[in-house]
Amino acid sequence: MIIHANVLITILSYILAIISAMVVGLVLRIPILPEIPMRYSFTISIIFPTSVLAIGFTAMLFKLGHDGLLVAVIVGVLTAIFAKYFLESLLPKPQTEESS
Amino acid sequence: MNVIIAIIIAAVLSWINFVLIDTWMGLPEEPGVKGAEVIGRSVKRRGGDLAGGFFQGNIVCSPDASAGTLLASAACYTIGTPEGGLIAAILVYIGNRLCADPGYAGTTGALSITCIIFAASYIGIGPADFIVGMVLAIVTIQGLHHPLASKLLGRIAEKMGRHTKLT
Repeated sequence: MIIHANVLITILSYILAIISAMVVGLVLRIPILPEIPMRYSFTISIIFPTSVLAIGFTAMLFKLGHDGLLVAVIVGVLTAIFAKYFLESLLPKPQTEESS
Repeated sequence: MNVIIAIIIAAVLSWINFVLIDTWMGLPEEPGVKGAEVIGRSVKRRGGDLAGGFFQGNIVCSPDASAGTLLASAACYTIGTPEGGLIAAILVYIGNRLCADPGYAGTTGALSITCIIFAASYIGIGPADFIVGMVLAIVTIQGLHHPLASKLLGRIAEKMGRHTKLT
């Protein structure tokens, strides 16, 4: 199995996007993990969904032709800011439980 | 690789991916919405397992790992691997939050199948095979025999400590 150098750089870019999002998320005091039980928690944390959004937004920019390690770092930073200040108002928690 | 063999392998991988992630995330434990409860109780009345019925109801009512698996496969086919799968994960997360679901199962399913598709591409199994494979995988859960499928899902939930406490 041969893995080309550009694939390794792409993987490194995604890792960098996650790391930069995590660092800025820590600075902005986003919780590292949601509260337990995590699978029922709507809390926005660094691991989920900030990291997922960071690699998703990075993938979007890469497909639009803006690739590179610096782009990944910038996207990570902007994603952390977006997750801290804007995500909750765009996709709010449900107000009431639907299950009976 | 022969396309039939590729589809069969992709179907098995997709089935394992979404069933294990959904069970681990607690879909058989309780219905997330009223529709899922109605489906679960209906499956039980027809001789099925309640936890398996809740599982089947929950995957109908909000984007879970099966939706993530299918959407990521389609996105990898149209956009490319792994970018398509990573973009699909964001779309699944947005869809989950719109359905009042935290979004862990769907997003995890999309990301894990993206890794699987990326690895499988090296042995000649492409995203198109995973699209067909995922459709076949979901047919075994939702399309053939609900009570039988629910019993299998209930047994898996029991083994993973996720069986429902509701009666």
